[in-house]
Amino acid sequence: MSAERQHAGLLPASAAAVTAGALALSVPPLRSLIEQSMVWHMLVQMPLLVAGGALCAAALQRWRRAARPAAIGWLGHINRYGLTGFMFALVVGAYWMLPATVDRAVVLPAADAAKIVSLWLAGAALRHAFGRAPAAVQLFFIGSALPMGVWVGVYLASTDLRLCNAYSLASQIATGRGMVALSLLAGAVWLAGLRGHGRPRGDAAQALQG
Amino acid sequence: MQAPVQPAASDPMAGLAATFAASLAVLLIGLAALFMATGGGAGFTTETLRRSQVALAPAAIPDFSLVDAQGQLQSLHTLLAQDGRVWIVDFIYTRCPTLCLTLGSVFQQLQAQIVEQGLQRQVGLLSISFDPANDRPAELQEYARRMQMRPEVWQLVSLQEAADRRRLLDSFGIMVVPAPRGEFEHNAALHVVRPDGQLVRILDLNQPAAAIDAALAAGLTPLQAAVVAAR
Repeated sequence: MSAERQHAGLLPASAAAVTAGALALSVPPLRSLIEQSMVWHMLVQMPLLVAGGALCAAALQRWRRAARPAAIGWLGHINRYGLTGFMFALVVGAYWMLPATVDRAVVLPAADAAKIVSLWLAGAALRHAFGRAPAAVQLFFIGSALPMGVWVGVYLASTDLRLCNAYSLASQIATGRGMVALSLLAGAVWLAGLRGHGRPRGDAAQALQG
Repeated sequence: MQAPVQPAASDPMAGLAATFAASLAVLLIGLAALFMATGGGAGFTTETLRRSQVALAPAAIPDFSLVDAQGQLQSLHTLLAQDGRVWIVDFIYTRCPTLCLTLGSVFQQLQAQIVEQGLQRQVGLLSISFDPANDRPAELQEYARRMQMRPEVWQLVSLQEAADRRRLLDSFGIMVVPAPRGEFEHNAALHVVRPDGQLVRILDLNQPAAAIDAALAAGLTPLQAAVVAAR
């Protein structure tokens, strides 16, 4: 019982910790890390923001399920099979992969704030979407998002053009390689998760019954 | 899975209208954001956007106090307006071992072409150091010697006030990134600036001929130039 309660407290705690860590990278003294290194910006802070949003959504969902088990909620109605959530995450991901927007987030505080909010929300949307998407819809999303990550990564690592005015070419090449690795890792984690939790929930379960 | 006619509750397509509408709205808003971020598809890097913006609408460059290799003080606007020439401007720092050498040799080529084609009255070259703390007249002299600059074609200046550095770089859209061993990386390009201080075109380093054409197109006609020179 007490172990279970400890476990239950772990999710909100990690959600808060990951989000706080990602936010800390946007304010001094840690801000110099994302200002000087594209790796810290794109491979540490951005994924942390997405993870923070996803963990917060997971914590919120658990708390809501405990309070009102049967409710679907308005978000559920506009996110059947996770379609809207996946669409949102794809659009936000594509936006913050543009070198021009990455530069802007380094230079303009307003752009940085938009980046924080949108990537965090994209993480929350992903968590919401994966919970209600059948494997086929998940595969469709993974199959478009991960090749995009790999393609951008290969391009960043192989072009001799310096794409971000804010970062050195060496930093860009390291980021490109890391982006390929991170995309492949995300694919592996998704596959492992699919095998582990063979049974999806919510809409997905309904779809399987249908 | 193939259920022809099912009660609404278990029909996978039931209740999807709201989701489709929301997904479509997200897609459209996202495309609009991407459209704006790329300047309407003009480019996806800050550099291409900077260049296309300037090509669409010239940018007014503010005035700065400069110092040249002889230690003479001069304002940027006075320098630009001195004889009606259009200027091809680049940014350097004299300690630079790599990119500025490339830039330097591009400017050497430009100098040779200007002399060869007899365009000294129409097109001038101006190198501005963005490292005013280190680049004082002595360093400028050494750099001018190394680059074999001909003063009637190619001028070299540094900022008088180190505090102006940021404003100068911002006004041209240059971002300087510290690199290892005390070096800098920066977006190097050829900036075409009219005598009235308007930045009208930004061209790639490997387009020196296009930069001369752009400068000639932005400048006075030969007759106008002759009138200015006679004054």
